[in-house]
Amino acid sequence: MTQRAFSLLKQSDGHSITFDAMASPCEVLIDSDDPLLASEVAQAVTQEVWRIEDKFSRYDPNSLCSQINHGDGQAISIDNETYLLLNFAQQCYELSDGLFDISSGVLGRVWQFDGSDKIPSAAQVVEVLVRVGWPRIDYDEQQIIMPKAMEIDFGGIGKEYAVDRAILSVAALTDEPVLVNLGGDLCASAPRHNGQPWQVGIEHPGLVDKPSMMVSLYRGALATSGDAKRFLLSQGKRYSHILNAKTGWPIEQAPASITVAAQHCVEAGVFATLAMLQGENAEDFLQAQQIKHWVIRHPSE
Amino acid sequence: MQLTHRSKPKVLNVKAALSLATCALLGVNPVAAQGEGQSTEPWSFDTAVLFYSEADRVSALEAMVSATKEFDDQHFLNLKLTLDTLTGASANGAVAQPHAQTFTRPSGQGQYQITPGDTPLDDTFKDTRVQINGQWTQPLGQHLTGSVGGHLSKEFDYLSLGFNANVGYDFNQKNTTATLGFSHFKDTFSPIGGIPKPFASMGIGDSNAPNWDGDFAATRLTDQDDKNTTDILVGLTQVINRRMVTQFNYSYSVVDGYQTDPFKILSVVDGQGISQDLVYESRPDKRTKHSVFAQTKYHFGDSILDLSYRYMWDDWQIKSHTLDSRLRIKLDGGYTIEPHVRLYSQTAAQFYQPFLHQGQLMASFASADYRIGAMDTYTLGLKMGMRLKDGNKLAVRLEYYSQRPKDSGFTQPGALAEQDLYPGVDAVILQMSYSF
Repeated sequence: MTQRAFSLLKQSDGHSITFDAMASPCEVLIDSDDPLLASEVAQAVTQEVWRIEDKFSRYDPNSLCSQINHGDGQAISIDNETYLLLNFAQQCYELSDGLFDISSGVLGRVWQFDGSDKIPSAAQVVEVLVRVGWPRIDYDEQQIIMPKAMEIDFGGIGKEYAVDRAILSVAALTDEPVLVNLGGDLCASAPRHNGQPWQVGIEHPGLVDKPSMMVSLYRGALATSGDAKRFLLSQGKRYSHILNAKTGWPIEQAPASITVAAQHCVEAGVFATLAMLQGENAEDFLQAQQIKHWVIRHPSE
Repeated sequence: MQLTHRSKPKVLNVKAALSLATCALLGVNPVAAQGEGQSTEPWSFDTAVLFYSEADRVSALEAMVSATKEFDDQHFLNLKLTLDTLTGASANGAVAQPHAQTFTRPSGQGQYQITPGDTPLDDTFKDTRVQINGQWTQPLGQHLTGSVGGHLSKEFDYLSLGFNANVGYDFNQKNTTATLGFSHFKDTFSPIGGIPKPFASMGIGDSNAPNWDGDFAATRLTDQDDKNTTDILVGLTQVINRRMVTQFNYSYSVVDGYQTDPFKILSVVDGQGISQDLVYESRPDKRTKHSVFAQTKYHFGDSILDLSYRYMWDDWQIKSHTLDSRLRIKLDGGYTIEPHVRLYSQTAAQFYQPFLHQGQLMASFASADYRIGAMDTYTLGLKMGMRLKDGNKLAVRLEYYSQRPKDSGFTQPGALAEQDLYPGVDAVILQMSYSF
């Protein structure tokens, strides 16, 4: 585990906090010159983000997520927060017609998007696809029962959820404008004191010809889906890392990157992923939603 | 394996459904999304109701509404309205006696009796005050902030008008702020019954008698009088480190004009300590006050310690020390708890005396008002605050206040030796506040 520390810096227009969480560089900007408040905010945000990471990371063998995944058909007791997250995953599953499935992480055992041409065989895909299927997971307010060999992964919503929770924990402390940015998924609690929007750089990993894009944001959230470094290339065909949980195969003609603005970060994040899952219709989908978005496609497409 | 394009009605449901699912997940209320580019903040309100009650004496009820709006670029407007009502009894300055005493009401209409051994209290106190304050604050440059404000306070017999202006200058990378403030108030006092002549004897008699009005008027100087107060403050706020902030202030205040309390009297006693006369008090019409103030806020863990000390001295020879400490402890679930201890001690004004001796060479000034006598007071309080789900704040403060006047060392002749000339006052304060 990385060392748990944050650094607090005084800026010309407030304070900034940087720390690492969820395998991402994280930053909090506070539009206040009060160093005591900045340190309070730093404590509250890091505490909350690290708490969520410890609880829901599937890589941490001590996490609740790991316990659930090693349940082996036995009931594992859960708390209200986990229940609410499972309910949210259920909604995502329903809204996406089964394409967004938090039990689809096991597909990663045959799909390694390392830029190579190692496309798995249809038989290999089917072998893991039988271990995917959200409706087979039984849960209620007290417990969850995972069928053997199945796993869940909160990776698709965890970081965005942590952003929203961090903003809520800041709201319990202060009304000063604060921006929480966890590796590009971010939310601003209020417009800056000077009336100007927050200026946010959106990175596009792997797109060398696309430098980071500056977005102005008064308040609300931005989330980005897509990582152009993660793909496979075989016989001239590009396979994006966005997998269709129903077929076990990558979504075709998915954009390289989709950034969505919404009131809350989980909302923006799920929207970006849902749009990705629409493949070539991603832009149409977002336009029909009347949602502010930025879509970047590979130049060849 | 390509997803077919969905029909629009179904697609539109996604947005609403996802928004609801998000609110359920985060436990927040769905609210209409803010339009892009909208940067104006709504008004925010602080409201409070305060109840103050002294045992057997004055009780007060105060209601306050304060509204603040931020306009673009750190321009703030604050408007505050305060209403108070005061009722009850207050010490009139006369000493307790072994016999019953009769006093004339300040209006000259009617009298009240005090039983033997009791501290004379005037029970005619009843006042309602309306106070309005407005303050505008804005940046004047990159490191300079300016603020101007106005004040109006009106009671039945009192009008106060005020004006203030302040500038703050940030330097040393905003770790230091220097403040300069100025304020001026003009108060007009038109007490019921008029302004009594200094040391005139309080007439005691039948207010229905034909010569009463003339006799009473002879003890009066005028209908109203006024005073001007000018304050100058210089301050320095210094961030020591990210856990500690300190502040130092010096203030200088000149009060010029009528500062006597027209409702306060002194007993004139003979060698046996028996009251022979009651005379109206008299205070100087000029008072110059200085005060130094130091405050430190220290943040540790989830708590903030707020310690402050003030030393005040004036040319009436009153010197006072105030030590105030609060510890704000943050608890889980948005709750805070804040114990409060305040200690105060003052020396008496040069012209303070609990009574006058018959035949004593009359000084220019004398007052038996316990509020300018030597005393110690202490306050013990507890405040509980909570942040509600919608971000609004609710707080309840309960305090106990005890005022212990000190024996100023005046020899109490004869019957006065038996009397308590320095009775204490105990009070409770209950305040509820709500911010939204």
